[in-house]
Amino acid sequence: MSRVEAKKPSLYISEPLTKDIVHQSLSVLRGVLKSCYGPAGRLKQLHNGMGGYVCTTSRSSAVLRCLSVSHPVLKVLTASVQNHISRVSDCGLFTAILCCSLIENFKNINFLSCTVIKISKHLLSLCTDYLKSEACGCRVSVDFSNLETLFCLVRSILMSKPACMLSKTEIDHLTTLIVKAFLLTVPCHVETNAVLGKCIIVPVKGRRVVDSTVFPGLLLETPENQLAKPLSVKRTPSNIIKIALFCVSMSGDLFNPEEGSITVRHGISLEMSELDQLLNVGRQLVNDEIGLVVCQKVIHPSLKQYLKENHVVAVDRVGLSMMEPLSQMTGSKPIASIHSFSPSCYGSLKDVCTESFASKHFVHLIPNDTLVCSLMLCNRSETTWDELKCAYETAERVLQLTIKEPLALLGGGCTETHLASYIRHKSCNLSTSSFKAIDCSQTQYQLVADAFCRSLESVACSLNHDDGDIFTDVVYGHCWFVPSGFSSVSNWSDLVSKCGCGINDNTQNLNWRVLQSQFSSPVLQSCPKEPSVKATDFLTLDCFAAKCSGLQVAVETANLILDLSCIIEDQN
Amino acid sequence: MAFREVNARRHVGLQQLSALALAGRTLLGPMKSYKFVVDESTNQSVLTCSAVRLIESLDLSSAAGQLLNETIQAQNKEFKTGMSTLLFLVGAWSNAVLECLQQNVPVSVIVSVMSEGLNSCCEKVQCLQLSIPDVNKGLCSSSVRTNIFENKTSQIRSNSFLNPQVCFQKGISTSEEAAVPRNTHSYPEDSCNFSNSCLFSTLTGFGSIASLVKPVDGKSKSVISGSGVMTSSCNKKKLSHSRYFNTLAKSNFSSQLGNSEGCLSGQSAYPCECNDFGHLAMALSHGNQTSTKLLQNIVAYQQQRAECSGSSQFNITEIVTCCLLGLPESYSCVCSGFITLVSPEQATVIKYLQDKPLWILLMDGDLTEHYRHLGFNRSRNVRTILEHPSLQEGRSGDLWLSSVLDILKYFEVNLILVKGNVCEKLMERCITNNILVIGSVSHNVLRAFGEGCGAQPVSYLTQLDARYLGSGGQVELWRACDGRAMELGELVPVRIKVQGIPLLTAMLTTTVASKMQLIEDQFWTFVYRLHHALNEGKVFLGGGAVELLCLSHIQMLAEQSLKPASTNAEKEFHSPSWLAAASTEYKSVVLQALASGWNRYLSVVLCNTAKVASGFEAYTLIKCHLKKAADCGSPSAYILKEFRRGGMVQGSSDPFTDPGEGLNVYDNVTAKMEAWRRALDLVLLVLQTDAEIITGPRRNQLLNSYVSSEFMFL
Repeated sequence: MSRVEAKKPSLYISEPLTKDIVHQSLSVLRGVLKSCYGPAGRLKQLHNGMGGYVCTTSRSSAVLRCLSVSHPVLKVLTASVQNHISRVSDCGLFTAILCCSLIENFKNINFLSCTVIKISKHLLSLCTDYLKSEACGCRVSVDFSNLETLFCLVRSILMSKPACMLSKTEIDHLTTLIVKAFLLTVPCHVETNAVLGKCIIVPVKGRRVVDSTVFPGLLLETPENQLAKPLSVKRTPSNIIKIALFCVSMSGDLFNPEEGSITVRHGISLEMSELDQLLNVGRQLVNDEIGLVVCQKVIHPSLKQYLKENHVVAVDRVGLSMMEPLSQMTGSKPIASIHSFSPSCYGSLKDVCTESFASKHFVHLIPNDTLVCSLMLCNRSETTWDELKCAYETAERVLQLTIKEPLALLGGGCTETHLASYIRHKSCNLSTSSFKAIDCSQTQYQLVADAFCRSLESVACSLNHDDGDIFTDVVYGHCWFVPSGFSSVSNWSDLVSKCGCGINDNTQNLNWRVLQSQFSSPVLQSCPKEPSVKATDFLTLDCFAAKCSGLQVAVETANLILDLSCIIEDQN
Repeated sequence: MAFREVNARRHVGLQQLSALALAGRTLLGPMKSYKFVVDESTNQSVLTCSAVRLIESLDLSSAAGQLLNETIQAQNKEFKTGMSTLLFLVGAWSNAVLECLQQNVPVSVIVSVMSEGLNSCCEKVQCLQLSIPDVNKGLCSSSVRTNIFENKTSQIRSNSFLNPQVCFQKGISTSEEAAVPRNTHSYPEDSCNFSNSCLFSTLTGFGSIASLVKPVDGKSKSVISGSGVMTSSCNKKKLSHSRYFNTLAKSNFSSQLGNSEGCLSGQSAYPCECNDFGHLAMALSHGNQTSTKLLQNIVAYQQQRAECSGSSQFNITEIVTCCLLGLPESYSCVCSGFITLVSPEQATVIKYLQDKPLWILLMDGDLTEHYRHLGFNRSRNVRTILEHPSLQEGRSGDLWLSSVLDILKYFEVNLILVKGNVCEKLMERCITNNILVIGSVSHNVLRAFGEGCGAQPVSYLTQLDARYLGSGGQVELWRACDGRAMELGELVPVRIKVQGIPLLTAMLTTTVASKMQLIEDQFWTFVYRLHHALNEGKVFLGGGAVELLCLSHIQMLAEQSLKPASTNAEKEFHSPSWLAAASTEYKSVVLQALASGWNRYLSVVLCNTAKVASGFEAYTLIKCHLKKAADCGSPSAYILKEFRRGGMVQGSSDPFTDPGEGLNVYDNVTAKMEAWRRALDLVLLVLQTDAEIITGPRRNQLLNSYVSSEFMFL
């Protein structure tokens, strides 16, 4: 008999944000995330403390996954950032840091939270409207006929992942490869709804990064001894190679019902009859002039031997992830039964050859019309390879988002400071009718706007990890980094050489001021201008869609958290 | 989740790296000291002299230790060489970076300047690359010349072994004078010495002077006693052919080879011609004569084959090793065919099979009743019913055994090579039926047999068909060069030969069990070095030349960075602008830190080879070379000239150096530069880490432990 335990009453916590523990946890979390941000960000070692695999990273997705926060307020925050990452896979740290800063700065104002929320919503709409308008001074349009902007986008992503341990030449090499791989997946002839192809990563750990390559078509890894040398593939009279794709296991094991049992008479071997069935399939394939058989699961060695003798190349254990691109590339339909299948399922290929790298051997399938490519990605160690793979996935996603919306934002903190100076300018020049509309006074509005701008600027400041100062200029509102110990120098243009995104240099006097200093009174801000000269090479660029989404998620999550009036915790 | 910050000034991770790497200090260079790693809980110990084995046996529970292990394993997997260099540089650079942190150099500056510095060095040292054809030309001409010296040198070498405490160093000129006239006479002892030359080769990698058996030669002793007596290092003389310690012993070695080949290799002596890679193998082996000799035989054999068949000249997949305990190391040799160890019961089968042509079956799975290929799911719910039970029919196991034997007998199979395990009972039945079954055969061996005798591997015996069998093999008990059959222990070596099989087996023998692993590791290291050299088509000039050039290059960069003019010239678009400005301030400090890695490397190698008495002397020597290189104007030209002549320490104290002679010490290019890069990457990765995040169930443990104050819990 089980013991019946009385239910515990639920725990009611009112005004969670006024509690000290929340503040402490929030500032620790902010510190952790801030320290990860940017190309000079510090890395975190994620491990189980018992000698397990050590993941060295500064990726927000990995850090947030491993940080198992216990407080509900933090859970809301991390959950919404993780959701943002899973959608756009970039700007996770930006979102998280901005959200933490907003909560802290808004808390310090001590207004009714509903007023703060209203004003911050208005500020957010100002930002998004500005970013989407033609007049926006911190965005560039991406011209797909000129690869340079795409290179800048990808390069910025790779550089922001220091745990990949890439040198300059390696970054350049990978940048070209990633853009090339992406362009291979873009269809040449676009009909009404274009579908992007797929790029499959072939992991080669332990090699130099510069050994990475892109192949059109697919690489399937196989044990070396299974292939005849030289590879001879049967072709049809029209000189194509017919391929049959199986997603059912051909290992010759029995159909396994969950329950019940089969009783067979002694001397009858179910395995043998199953194998006979497989060999029949083999005969049919040979008769149908198939040149290549690919199986998601295992092929029985006897069947493999039979196929090999009949000059049919057999590749098994390719895995589920390869099935979709295989079927897309060859036009074949995966065969799900070995008992009956029609020749209409077969696909075709232009050529098949073998490649080998390091100690691995591959069958290279070359299609007639490529939309599928394989990126052989190399890096020296396990840790750095894993990081590089994630960087690649981010870059791929960013390119996909950019082809939908061909815009990019200036990176290196410039977008944040530029937006902040735009908001400062706007909030001074807002008409009284708009204050009425959101039901607040001008002072209230300006205080919240100032907190909002400081939060944005603090994200830009997070890029700096060694003691040093960050300036902004009055003309463009860009962000400038200065090493420590130089603040007393009279001529600041000697100190700064280029702004964070690299679009402006120190040739004209831009009237710099220290960002976020307590002493200087906020100068009367004019509307920040768009840089006149737009050099497109070697800029730091961020994904437009990802950053806009990040901004939105951060402000809305902060608003949600500010709005929390109580937590009811079920303690059972 | 727990979260710990790593103190920025005293970076814990870097300290851990430096402490771990310190253990590998004596593994550097061609003269390694052995280490015993003792497990206190079990009292078991391991003898090791390679970085991989050392790191494998250390406790690496810390995150930095894990990363170090991962890095070393990756280098080992890719190159099989350069691991001790990697380990040492990790330690040296960790220390150097810690010093930079003490001087308040920002982390981002250290990272960017160090990685740029290394890149710059890697480009610079390309001028020390030599192409393989050039190398071969140089090596051959020198090897011809050295034959003249062979008598002299071997004589003197042997002398130094007579009295281990009597070694010559400074006052060497007298002994040289004394030795040269000896060379002109033909002493009868010379031939006597050479007959024992196989005993020489055992000395090479191992400082075990006690194992040397050598007739005492009174005359030569008297010659030696005339020279200056130095007691500093008797193990200095064990090194005959080193990158760092260039004596003429190399020529001595080639003479041994010529004399001892007949008895050392099971095969008849392969001619050691000028156009082969045997000399290259020697130059890459940095003084290990046993392995070199084996490698040279392999090269000679494979080149002969390549000329006939047009296959690649050095094929690493056609080499296997067989480790035999109980014979002196001088019995190591290379034989064509496949040699493996079998139980004495199986050896009886061999006596039956000898001189009979074999039918060979290859199996690429296990040879057991319940073996199924990978991915086969056994069904659990099949029941078999027996309708008419009879006593004659035994259990299913016996049924399987007899059916297997029926198949084997039907096809008249005598020899089965199995990739996986073999059923014990079947093994017994096969012995009684005079069928030899060998399990755990590697993939390469199966493939070679497939090529050699036309067999095709099968997974199940039911698949078997006559055309899958191979024919034409022969099996015999392996005999050592003196004709001795092995009755040494529980296992007996057998040799399987097939006409035209490309497979070569290197028999590695030793009487010391704990050294077996070590000998095998070293052998493979040298095989891979040659493999990489031939694949790349180029080698580095060895003997510390590369490191010295790096040092001088970095010094030049550091000097340049102090000059203000060069700051704006560089176009630094990748690093943030302020970094460029900050770099100039700290650049020279960081570059010095980078250089200190190679400086320590060179000095430790010099100390390990006992060529200099102290670290201080080593630093002075390096400094002297650097100064000369800088004065010369073109450091690379200076180094090329000096190292072709004799390496770091030439001229100072070495009596045997012939100035006109090539150096013949080379290194792998990519393996070396990758080892540097991996070492620096690891150090910089750990440097940039500021916190550990510990996941999983250890949270409560950490909360209660003494370090709980270091952690933050969210």
